[in-house]
Amino acid sequence: MVKPLFEIRDLFHAYQGKTALCVDHLVIPQSKITALVGPNGAGKSTFLRLLSFIEQPVRGKILYQGKTLRLFEPATRKIVLLPQEPYLLRRSVFDNVAYGLRIRGQKKGLRKRVYEALSLVGLAPGEFAQRPWYALSGGETQRVALASRLVLRPEVLLLDEPTSGVDAQSALLIQKAIVEAQKLWGTNLIIATHDWDWVSEIADTWFYFAQQQVWEDIPLFIPGPWQKGPLFWVRPFRDGASLQLEAPRQDSSGLAVFSSKEIKIYLQKPDKNFNVLDFQIFKVSLNKKLGKIFVFLSREDISLVLESGAGLSLYPGQKVWLSFPERAQKWL
Amino acid sequence: MDYLLEGLIKALSLLLNRDPETLAAIQVTLKVTTYSMAASLLLGVPLGFGLGFFDFPGRKFLRTLANTLLSLPTVLIGLLVYALLSQQGPLGSLGLLFTPLAIAIGQTILALPIVVALTAATIESLDQKLRLTLLSLGANRRQLLLSILWEARYGLLMAAVTAYGRVLTEVGISLMVGGNIKWYTRTITTTIALETAKGNFALGVALGLVLLLLAFGVNFSLMYLRRKW
Repeated sequence: MVKPLFEIRDLFHAYQGKTALCVDHLVIPQSKITALVGPNGAGKSTFLRLLSFIEQPVRGKILYQGKTLRLFEPATRKIVLLPQEPYLLRRSVFDNVAYGLRIRGQKKGLRKRVYEALSLVGLAPGEFAQRPWYALSGGETQRVALASRLVLRPEVLLLDEPTSGVDAQSALLIQKAIVEAQKLWGTNLIIATHDWDWVSEIADTWFYFAQQQVWEDIPLFIPGPWQKGPLFWVRPFRDGASLQLEAPRQDSSGLAVFSSKEIKIYLQKPDKNFNVLDFQIFKVSLNKKLGKIFVFLSREDISLVLESGAGLSLYPGQKVWLSFPERAQKWL
Repeated sequence: MDYLLEGLIKALSLLLNRDPETLAAIQVTLKVTTYSMAASLLLGVPLGFGLGFFDFPGRKFLRTLANTLLSLPTVLIGLLVYALLSQQGPLGSLGLLFTPLAIAIGQTILALPIVVALTAATIESLDQKLRLTLLSLGANRRQLLLSILWEARYGLLMAAVTAYGRVLTEVGISLMVGGNIKWYTRTITTTIALETAKGNFALGVALGLVLLLLAFGVNFSLMYLRRKW
């Protein structure tokens, strides 16, 4: 039996007493491109740092191919992280890319491998190799940082928001480079991003991060303020509409959670009126690999992402109606 | 103003004619400052690194202490070292008083807080992303440490240059624990003090210029080194 790439059990991590991530159980399969999507502050970066073994979780276990590892163990060198904001060492582009190889004592064919890595990210080696770290644009800096990781031909490459703050052209070059790396060396890619469109093109496994947790389906959150009754909690909107849900059974801070699958989309206002709210579509994203459409909707201060089959014809700016169940899947 | 011009001419003539007394003073100066710089860098860089990199109880206090010691007056250091090394002092038996080594010890005490405080400040000001970047590229403990020091090289250089400027130009320590012995512990600064007291202004100015020239030489070579990096 092939062991999963990563297996996470009862993971809990916190910074200065504030919960950063909580994962009961999660399996990341081998030989896949895994996407971790979710808003900022959802715990994605924390998760990647834990997977890279640079940080140790407060509680719980992370198994890499069935084994737990610790920082500075030689085996952790097979797992390479590209942190969110790229940081280059105070040296030339060449020395930046060569750094990882040098500290691994792999000096044979150094120049060839560095040049290969630079070409892979779309930077002409002749033009860029001798540039100092400060003479690069944001997109170029990010690509040099990526080349510094690709040159190591890692088993696992963890990418933290690789396209944040880079232009469309750089984002495309980054995408091409990592897919190429996967083909050439079988590198497993785990990508944390909030760029659904960009990652839709390549990812075959998706996990949704929100509220310091991981969700199998896209979670939908309806925050308060709630008018709290003993049996029902009602969420009024400014336009007079409202959502009425069964009161939570335990203490709750007032965040109702639904699964994307529980919500129905209507193009026309349906006959039944209970818990039906109109939303406006602000973005539609096609996921060719999964054969799905992600619909981004908003209403007043609430924004949601829904999964839809390819059957409905939806476009940005369109008004649609969503029907919510009477009971939230969960309350946070 | 005459003696400034006179001093300039005299300085050139002293250097060009290789005046043995002047050369001896330069030699002593270079010797003791080299000793004190080597010692203060060897001790101060690791201390400053530890103070800037690690978080431990009492760290803030030690940082404040290092910053306070930046204003140690040289006469006080001279007094302390004198008390330590004099016949009745705890280290009197070593017979170090009025030797170049005594000056070097005093100057090390003078330079150490500068090296420690500026190294700590440099390490603290490094980007938080640096550590994560080095770890994410697979650096082990030793490589992490060395790479951080290398990233901080301009700041460390600045610490060294500042400390060198201080030890090169101090006069209190050299005078008190060196004794201003001709050919042996007489440095450029103590010679200036002596010659000025004797009313020999031109020679004083000349030696002052030599001192500046020396400082310029050191800084110029470091500048060159920095561009190379």
